[in-house]
Amino acid sequence: MPALPEYRTRKLLAGEGVPVVEGVFFPAGAGVPEPPPAPPAYVKAQIPGATSRASRGLVRHVTDSEAMSLAMRELLSPGPWGQSEGVLVTSPAELYGEYYAACTLDLGGEDRLPRGVLLFSPEGGSGVEERSETLLRMPFSLTAPPSEEAIRERLPQLSEPEMVAALLHGIVRAFIRYRLLVLEANPIGVLQDGTPLVIDCRAEYESRAVAKGDRQLFTPPAGGDRELLPLERAVERINEADPSGTGFFRQNRSEPPEDAWRVATNLCGGGGKMLWEMTTGGRDDIYTMNESDTSGGLSAFKSYRILRTILSQEGAHVLLLTGSGMAFQNQHHLAAAVWKALRESPTPLPALLRFGGTDEDLAHGLFDRVSEDLPVAVRHYRAEIFPNAMVEDIPPVAVREPIRVDPPPLPQGEPTFETEVPPGRFYFFPELCTERPDHLLGSCPTGYLAWDADSRTLAPNPESRCIGCLMCETASLLEGNGELRIVLDLPEEVE
Amino acid sequence: MGGILEHLADIEEPRVLVFGITGRQGRSRTRLMRRFGTDIVAGCTPGKGGQEVNGTPVYDSASEAVEAHPDLNTAVFYVPAKAVRSAASDAMEAGLGFLVLTADGVPTHDAAVLKELSSRKGCRFLGPNTVGLLDTSGYLFGLIGGRASWARSNYLPGSVGVISRSGGLSQLLGAFHCRRHLPGPREDGSFGPLWGEEYPGVSAVVCVGGDPIPGVSVLDAARAFEADPRTKVMAVYGETGTSQENDLARAMESGEISKPVVVFLGGKYTEAGVAQSHAGAMIRNPEEAYGAKRKALEEAGAVVVERPDAVFASTARILGLRA
Repeated sequence: MPALPEYRTRKLLAGEGVPVVEGVFFPAGAGVPEPPPAPPAYVKAQIPGATSRASRGLVRHVTDSEAMSLAMRELLSPGPWGQSEGVLVTSPAELYGEYYAACTLDLGGEDRLPRGVLLFSPEGGSGVEERSETLLRMPFSLTAPPSEEAIRERLPQLSEPEMVAALLHGIVRAFIRYRLLVLEANPIGVLQDGTPLVIDCRAEYESRAVAKGDRQLFTPPAGGDRELLPLERAVERINEADPSGTGFFRQNRSEPPEDAWRVATNLCGGGGKMLWEMTTGGRDDIYTMNESDTSGGLSAFKSYRILRTILSQEGAHVLLLTGSGMAFQNQHHLAAAVWKALRESPTPLPALLRFGGTDEDLAHGLFDRVSEDLPVAVRHYRAEIFPNAMVEDIPPVAVREPIRVDPPPLPQGEPTFETEVPPGRFYFFPELCTERPDHLLGSCPTGYLAWDADSRTLAPNPESRCIGCLMCETASLLEGNGELRIVLDLPEEVE
Repeated sequence: MGGILEHLADIEEPRVLVFGITGRQGRSRTRLMRRFGTDIVAGCTPGKGGQEVNGTPVYDSASEAVEAHPDLNTAVFYVPAKAVRSAASDAMEAGLGFLVLTADGVPTHDAAVLKELSSRKGCRFLGPNTVGLLDTSGYLFGLIGGRASWARSNYLPGSVGVISRSGGLSQLLGAFHCRRHLPGPREDGSFGPLWGEEYPGVSAVVCVGGDPIPGVSVLDAARAFEADPRTKVMAVYGETGTSQENDLARAMESGEISKPVVVFLGGKYTEAGVAQSHAGAMIRNPEEAYGAKRKALEEAGAVVVERPDAVFASTARILGLRA
């Protein structure tokens, strides 16, 4: 799950009136500030998801200027801990006690409904959940969270229970408002007068739960998510431009075993992913370069864009596409996207393709017709053939040397018309089509394409919508003279 | 009509309100459902009340739709993930008894809230992130089947109840049970046709969805199939994450589920704490890992297989079918 480092979690808490220790954030890209912050202070690396920072040297207590400069320099640089977003320099506070508090989500089960859980302990520090005998667990409804008073009544004997209850209530509010999975404050320091103050904190969240207006709070300062690789960021942008269905793509961070077949995958649906994992998880001779899920009724335009991203991965030997076998998603549309990606990519891969479900016969028929004209070998499989059998075809089909081709040039200039969502540019060449192109009009499942007899050109029907299925371009290439081409722009990382 | 919905939500004649009927997916899926035989009564899109979509009246809210059509009892949602919480709450408040939430990407907090609300209202929801439900007695909800003609020819009445946490696998486990002379790996290790002209067929296919908080769980679906007289055996696709398979195993152990259960369990190589494309497959504690689930299911008497095509030989044996 994506994690928020301390300095960004503090903003969520402060927004709900939770007191946090004074601190200043210095982003990684800006270098060591001149002059550096004045000691004494704590210098804390801000790495999403990092835990036990103190024991890993990611939190330094500095008491002089030299140590401050050194700590800033080291913790602002990439290290074995990964890329830091920056450092948070906090003032030391004289503490007379430490508490622990967190909110988590209990997913529920057969015996209980899902709910939030407030955890509190009058002890702080690492491992408190395991070691504390005084951990308070307070389940609560997300629709009717506990009042400050209700929290206070559950607290153990404390010197200032009202102030602690107010702080905990703020934590619960932030947890619900931002729909977080985890929100932890550890430790909460206690000042001499009993005032509690969050000293350190972290959060885990779901990207899907971040409201539009809150995105800035959840985005690193340099823009974009540093945890994502460039091609992964490209897919995120594809998703933003065309939100239809699921478009998931993550690259394998591990080193491929020597001599293993490196397989770029398009695994449609979570079940497809599981099927592939069950087939290859125990094998050292197959290295899965990426996980990708294209399913849930996405457009063929989007399938194409994600496929082009998958094909852009350096070092792949073969492409394997399979769902879990039977898709409600139109397999003919998907096949059109695969065909377009393989013929337009400068780095196509030999491909093993499994189509099953709606219009599967048309999908296979398409590849029966076009496979021989592609620059790479393609084998396509019916749903009855499972990945267990498909992997055996990898050695005869895969190619270890990189394949580079010059794909046919794409149309340039002003398109005949454009679609916004899913985004596409349509080019119609009337000189290649002397009669009414019934094959194009008939191929469009929604009636979006219309014929303007006066100007003898194609025009969009304002009463209908383009679903980005690629059937018109496919018909143009297979039944016409290539008089209609669709250009689907790609994020720059893909090229 | 009855079917599985009678046992899932005490609904004998499903009469459906379609949320998002004026959108692209809502229109096309409504066509699919109706052609398959589902009784689509009305649609709902806030701000578009008064319109009609292919003869179906559209209302601004569920309560308006229910007022005009008091026999409505089921709702299917084709709305964006972020709109699911308010739309489903609207339907629950209006008193609808069964909801199908197809959207992927519903925040987990929202699913938790809906679960709580549905418990209060005495209603059931399927999903989120589900392809839906198909009953061979003549109705389907959601996306399952893709095209009505395909769905009609690929899902044929019979005695297997399919439960799945994956959309694709729910369709595969359903459709392959309806193919004559299906080839596949046999329990003795050989490969060939698993049955002849007489195929097992399916009573219903229930995709519970791939999210961490399902409305209808694997066990809820199993209870419905246990009560369904058509169903003789259950074919289940389970995976890591959540306690659903563990709950099923406990119910089998206790005798609450007594019909035979064949499980294709995914996630043998899934590591704990790693995000999955099915959000619900992430392992959050050791009980949710493959090994623990497999052990629990096998000890409870389920047949657990490691590849989906191995399911069919086991269901064939249980049903006494031979090639």
